[in-house]
Amino acid sequence: MSPKVISQSIVFETPSTSVSQCDRSEKFFLHFLSQPIELKLCELIGLKRKIENIDLTALVSSQGPDIEVLYLSHQHPVLVLSIYEILELSELLTGTFTMLELNSVIHKFIYRKFS
Amino acid sequence: MKDILRRHQVLKLEIVDVINKQIKMEAHSSSAYLAMAGWCDLQGYDNCADFFFKQSEEERKHQLKFFHYLTDMGAQAIAPAIGDCQHDFENLRDVFETALDIEISVTDAIHDIVSLCRKHTDIATEEFMKWFVQEQIEEEYVARRALELFDVLGEDKIALGMIEEKILSVSYDGAE
Repeated sequence: MSPKVISQSIVFETPSTSVSQCDRSEKFFLHFLSQPIELKLCELIGLKRKIENIDLTALVSSQGPDIEVLYLSHQHPVLVLSIYEILELSELLTGTFTMLELNSVIHKFIYRKFS
Repeated sequence: MKDILRRHQVLKLEIVDVINKQIKMEAHSSSAYLAMAGWCDLQGYDNCADFFFKQSEEERKHQLKFFHYLTDMGAQAIAPAIGDCQHDFENLRDVFETALDIEISVTDAIHDIVSLCRKHTDIATEEFMKWFVQEQIEEEYVARRALELFDVLGEDKIALGMIEEKILSVSYDGAE
């Protein structure tokens, strides 16, 4: 196991997905498909925005297939998401950012205050 | 667990979102003033056209100021898509009425950002916003003063000619 994997800690998880962070590389790992997707903070924020901007009502009522294709960047796989997957990712990312903000508060009021 | 959120991003996500909205608003204002400048130019009001070309440039500068602030703080600034804006006006007064409406909307939005900064205790952004609060005092004053020229001088051809002469000298000299 690489050192990178050892330093990972789970930020938030749902029944079938999770986000973990690596303190060494300061990157996040989205465990959603078969391969974990490595993301910088700004990419994780970008993904959250894209998920939030999906119009689910339009997707459900459209004549085409109920899927959304998300392009992250050239380094990442294209995500083809069903409505269920969009909802699950939305829950995952909302939970992730709540935990990250909580972690920031803990750092501010406990670690940085007493260091 | 390292505080990656704080290490890589200074601003709260809600603050980033509201500044991105402001970037879009400033871009739209710039475009709206450009349309006004175009209308004035076509109608033969050269000085009024210059006045609005200058306003358009100002709004563009505001947009870039916000844009640079976000990127400097490690946040993603979004280059906005601008929708259509008003190109037809009833008369010259209507153009200045619309300009004042724009400035009032921008002032409200700026004040909302300051309120949000206070809610999040974002002192750095609140400090950054002070320049815009002052700028809006000036912008609203100029827009209101320009509109008052119509009340003072009237709207006949001679009055419109006088407004043309006076419009470029309308300025705010602060609380001097």
